Amino acid sequence: MHVHERNPKRTLITILLFALIIVFGWVTMKKPRFKYTLTPQQTVDMVINHGGCFHPYELEKVLNNKEGDVVLIDIRNNFDYAKGHIPGSLNITAANLLSEENIKQLDEWKKNNVKVVFYHDNQLQANGAWMLFRQIGYSNTFVLLGGYQYYALHKNNLKQSEGSCLKGKAKYDFAAVAKKRNAASGEGSSVKPAKKVKVRRKKKEKAASGGC
Amino acid sequence: MNRNYLFLTILMLVLAIGTFFINKDDEFKNQIKPEALLQAITQPSRYVTTDQVAKRIIEKDPTLELIDVRLPSEYNKFTLSDAINVPLKDILTDEGQNNLGIEDMNVVFFSNDDIMADQAWVISKRLGYKNIYVLKGGLNCWIETIINPVIPDESAPGTEFDTYHFRKAASLYFTGGDNTAQPSTATKAKVKVRRKKKEKAASGGC
Repeated sequence: MHVHERNPKRTLITILLFALIIVFGWVTMKKPRFKYTLTPQQTVDMVINHGGCFHPYELEKVLNNKEGDVVLIDIRNNFDYAKGHIPGSLNITAANLLSEENIKQLDEWKKNNVKVVFYHDNQLQANGAWMLFRQIGYSNTFVLLGGYQYYALHKNNLKQSEGSCLKGKAKYDFAAVAKKRNAASGEGSSVKPAKKVKVRRKKKEKAASGGC
Repeated sequence: MNRNYLFLTILMLVLAIGTFFINKDDEFKNQIKPEALLQAITQPSRYVTTDQVAKRIIEKDPTLELIDVRLPSEYNKFTLSDAINVPLKDILTDEGQNNLGIEDMNVVFFSNDDIMADQAWVISKRLGYKNIYVLKGGLNCWIETIINPVIPDESAPGTEFDTYHFRKAASLYFTGGDNTAQPSTATKAKVKVRRKKKEKAASGGC
């Protein structure tokens, strides 16, 4: 205590040293390379509203050079890309999308308002990569509906054919399909469904005992 | 001199509290890094087939948790056995979150096809949930493979016939149970219990 009294500057030196360490730590702190710019809720809203979809008919314009500023990225592996791809597309395998080199390129496209369209064999396989890029701030990214498979089938009339690339719809009336079977294999009486179940089960058992 | 110590203490406390707030992003604490998310996205292991799910339902696997991400109106018309309805838009609500992250449960998302289920998966994965899967092909594929299986070609390998026979049996199982016990889960459970007894009787006779 007396020491301090004799050296009043000590406190100042301590504070300075302390501040220096803090500043040094702050400067050298590892900043994360990527940050989510969309909250989970914003992401949900985006996919609910079908944002960021690129339709095959838009592709037709791009291929005929009617619409500039669109880059197609084939995120399949090199082998599939070599077998066939949409003309003019670049190949960046999904796992390499976040590499420094590619991010530099993507940043440049983002700065110049270039639309970046990801595609894989089908929409499902490109969905994850596209959602990731949207969430880390690349609002210029899109996902090609139908994917390469759709393109390969319809490359001559991309403009017209439209419906089959849209996903999310029920192909069947599920309840009716299941019910139909029920009636077909049942006894035909529609009084008590519980009874029907019993009848069919009997049949199943016969098949099992035959195998025995 | 005593004042100096007090000053240092306050400074340290202020800085400590400051660092505490640095990494606090938002309310979702278990979020995984974007790099880790991409890594997970590129793995196809999140997809489960309709056969796998059918088998687990028939075996009454207690760790299986089916989540229907479609709209309630669609869910009420038809869904898989004991599936829970969490529409994609409500996945972040408390009710939706309560269904995720239950210990030892394997969550399988499904929708009409697999896009919406996959979107639900990406969002849940980002939030750090483990043991989550996507039903590949969704309900469309469910109808095509399990409810109405197609007989394989005569030249097809034997395993395909095995699959076909499994599906055929599963089809009988599901078209019996699902339909008749649509109104509530309670009746669904009842039907299942009854079936079990019957099967036992059959094997005994053999």
